[in-house]
Amino acid sequence: MPAAFPIAPDRIGWLQKATFGFSTPEDYDLLQLPGATVDAKWEAWVERQLAPASIADADCDARLGAAGFATLGKTLQQLWAQHYGDGANYYNRMLPVAETECATMIRAIYSKRQLFERVVNFWHDHFSVFGWEYDIGPIFTHYDRDVIRPNAFGNFRSLLEQVATSTAMQFYLDNYASRGADFNENYARELIELHTLGVGNYFGPGDPFSVECLDSLIHCPDSMPAGYVDNDVYEAAGALTGWTIRNGHWQYPGDNDGTFVYRSDWHDRRNKIFLGEYLPANQPAMQDGRMVFDRLVAHPGTARFVARKLCRRFVGDTPSQALVDAVAVQFNTHIAAPDQIARMLRTILLSAEFKTSWGTGMRRPFEVTMSALRGLGANFTPRPDNTSAWTTTERLVSHLQQAGHRSFAWSPPNGYPDRQTAWASTGSLAMTLKLLAWVPEMRVDNDGSSAFIADILAQTRAALPDAAARTAAAIIGYWATRLLGYQPEPTVSVVTAFLQQNAAANAPINIDEDVWNTGNLARHYTQQRLRTAVGMLLMSPDYFRR
Amino acid sequence: MSSFDRRDFLKLCGAGALTAGLVPGARLAFAAPEANAYDTLIVVFLRGGCDGLSLVPPTGGNDRAYYEIARPDLTVPISGNGAALGLANSGSGWGLHPRASALHALYQANKLAVVLGAGMPAPVTRSHFDAQQTMEYGTPGSTGSATGWLTRYLTSANLPANITIPALSAGSITASSLIASTEAITMGNGNDFRIDSSAWPWNARDRYRDDNGNINAPAGFRGLVEVLPDLWAGDSALEAAARQTFDALSIIRPMNFGAYAPGNGASYPTDGFGNQLKMIAQIVKADLGLRVAAIDLGGWDTHNGQGVPTSGYDPFGNTVESLSRGLAAFYTDLDGAGAANYTSRTSIIVMSEFGRRMRQNGSDGTDHGYGNMMMALGGSVNGGRVYGLDVFAGLADQALFEGEDVMVTTDFRRVLSEALIRRLANPRLGRIFPGYGGYSPLGIFQGTDLPPDYDGGQDAIFRSGFEPG
Repeated sequence: MPAAFPIAPDRIGWLQKATFGFSTPEDYDLLQLPGATVDAKWEAWVERQLAPASIADADCDARLGAAGFATLGKTLQQLWAQHYGDGANYYNRMLPVAETECATMIRAIYSKRQLFERVVNFWHDHFSVFGWEYDIGPIFTHYDRDVIRPNAFGNFRSLLEQVATSTAMQFYLDNYASRGADFNENYARELIELHTLGVGNYFGPGDPFSVECLDSLIHCPDSMPAGYVDNDVYEAAGALTGWTIRNGHWQYPGDNDGTFVYRSDWHDRRNKIFLGEYLPANQPAMQDGRMVFDRLVAHPGTARFVARKLCRRFVGDTPSQALVDAVAVQFNTHIAAPDQIARMLRTILLSAEFKTSWGTGMRRPFEVTMSALRGLGANFTPRPDNTSAWTTTERLVSHLQQAGHRSFAWSPPNGYPDRQTAWASTGSLAMTLKLLAWVPEMRVDNDGSSAFIADILAQTRAALPDAAARTAAAIIGYWATRLLGYQPEPTVSVVTAFLQQNAAANAPINIDEDVWNTGNLARHYTQQRLRTAVGMLLMSPDYFRR
Repeated sequence: MSSFDRRDFLKLCGAGALTAGLVPGARLAFAAPEANAYDTLIVVFLRGGCDGLSLVPPTGGNDRAYYEIARPDLTVPISGNGAALGLANSGSGWGLHPRASALHALYQANKLAVVLGAGMPAPVTRSHFDAQQTMEYGTPGSTGSATGWLTRYLTSANLPANITIPALSAGSITASSLIASTEAITMGNGNDFRIDSSAWPWNARDRYRDDNGNINAPAGFRGLVEVLPDLWAGDSALEAAARQTFDALSIIRPMNFGAYAPGNGASYPTDGFGNQLKMIAQIVKADLGLRVAAIDLGGWDTHNGQGVPTSGYDPFGNTVESLSRGLAAFYTDLDGAGAANYTSRTSIIVMSEFGRRMRQNGSDGTDHGYGNMMMALGGSVNGGRVYGLDVFAGLADQALFEGEDVMVTTDFRRVLSEALIRRLANPRLGRIFPGYGGYSPLGIFQGTDLPPDYDGGQDAIFRSGFEPG
């Protein structure tokens, strides 16, 4: 069936899918890469992005440095003592998550390691914790900086265990309080249902030996069942007892720095059977839990579950089974490789399906917002604020909250949705459009007089220095190229007509005036009309597609 | 009657009429209240698996003894500080959590009913997301439907074409029970639900007013709000969803939510749940045709330190109080006299994806279980009674599912079906709950019984999600 909407040209659409939004500087960088064809250049771009340390990121680093963040360099122990330990000052207690949220926006907008930032975002959804929970906000920096980021392109098994032992996940799913035979099942259930096998492999209560795993494509270890039952959840919960944190528990009041610890006296020492594998009693420290993780990661269901989610994030809502399988094979073949995740990403980003699937997904509120700020060339350093002023950062975050997509603010453990059906809800879409309508109006001090964070007027003048050449079509054509990378219809025509009003098509729009003139709409508040028109490009369906 | 009739109706009104107010102004202006000529059903979903044994604990009989053994550190006492509030007509004795005192008063006034042992009979799932989706899709055993049970209520209800807001999902993301409905508005806050954030001179026609407040935009003026739909005229699913969004925005824009004064001295809690209930009450009173609404209250996944009412540390009780005060304020707000009596035609059902384990775990919490309570509240509810007792299996070890969880003895669809038939007069159970049969009323709701129609005829429009046929 032919597409019912304009298709973004090859590399434009690929950048839109793989980054926090197409931008002309990113496109320029792509075109400078070696390669005789756009496919060769794209391959070079993907390779460069998969080696983020090789990409100089001075501008982003400078902006992060200038933001004056106070908590992002603190060790876990410092965060624990200075923020977790602060029960009196809520602002200070939650400052680590607030600063991480701001730094995340800065990186999304300005980092040249765009793929890395998108994948960090993916793992924050996959291993989602509620960052604004009272016990998690103070130490959230550690989760983002030391757990998610170092492993984003790395090895899934390694990431899984680092998440399991992280203070944030220990708190969030209560494993820190799971002791002995009266274990707490919260983490074990979500570990299997949300982090590894997925609910599609859940067989409910019942006999754990009922169905054997047979997989024609992916290696399946001996006596592995096809899926899990409740008994596997209970056994995994038992296996993970004693994995906890030093939180000043009354039995160990001296242990109180927030770091992970294994307590053998809290461990359920009996023998267990997990996913068809025998775990003997009295195993060495952490061995039960590690066997659970090994077994989960070896299951073909995990390979496919993680592969499908990655494909959905980068390709579209319904990736083909063939692509999912190809990515799952990468997961399984390189199961112990330090670049296992990068290999999966390479398979996705170089696939024909990635390159030809424009419009099969929808960018989410956070993504389109960061994209808008990137495309407009905004000069914006979000910072937390503890004054009574209603700052631009606070207003932006509030808009994202209304749209349903504030960073680290999803309270259930399944992470933010990744499908169009969720984000095309009237509530979310309306509030996202409202947010995008405001972006061209964003000012440094969130008032009516300070500088715009993206000066659309000055950029328009600079792009079209000859005032006589500033027709509505020229202005909108310029901004469509800047923001979208191409000229989709009817978007360009509709927005051009709006800017043009009753002026002749070849007549310049006088953007040097901004006055009331209801008798001649072509000269009615022209600078505000220009900003509104640029906002319309952000509010077009072409801007939401990916 | 397909949902597209509503859109066609909107188109007939024309773009100018849309921003001026979709239907003649009086209907949108929160004019003098009059009881609505139709019923509204509000479904409150307690996300995370509410611990029904703490919200509605046993207070007598053998079940009380079993409960005290299973919950030594989480017991809701039956006397003294933090004691359960006893429920009349509850067999061997059940009570409400003490923080639910406002709900208890409604029970005593015969407006609140409780159902014990309710849930999804099969398949058993202790996954939050599986259970929520299955219940909200109304299709136990399958999550392949991609339409919610309230969505299918709407498409099978033969509603008049010119209803302004037939369905509302409170929040930013649509509840699964209303998923793929082209008739539902999803909205978190009525006051914020307008695109008024662009530069004012080109925002919308309604920014231009004369001294009397009438719109007097310049001739030929079309602002962002008027032009935006032109960008979204295509026929992809995304564009269809956006058109639905513009419909919703145009309906809500002329309404003044900020000026609302709740009726009868009702005082809503200022939390998200209270604010969203207040928004629903406004829409009920505005007579916009609201038939169904979905609203969530989260915070029930109490694996760890869930608290007890005898202690100052009582997070579960805090959530109970939000529920209780919110629902009581909503009921009071709607419970005027005569023409302001909306409660007789407004019913509320409270449900959760599953109950929690009979035995507490080792960290003073409870893990995922199975059977649970449900509640029904309304002026046409036969309240002051506990339902499902005749089949309730009890709390003895051998009566528990797998020796661990409250058994499901009353199908949640039986309760919902009764509301559908007796209150919403839609007996098409075969379409709303495919595969469900053998319905008979429990007697929770007043109203006329209609023979259930188990024909599962599908609405072709919805086979592929909200992609128009």
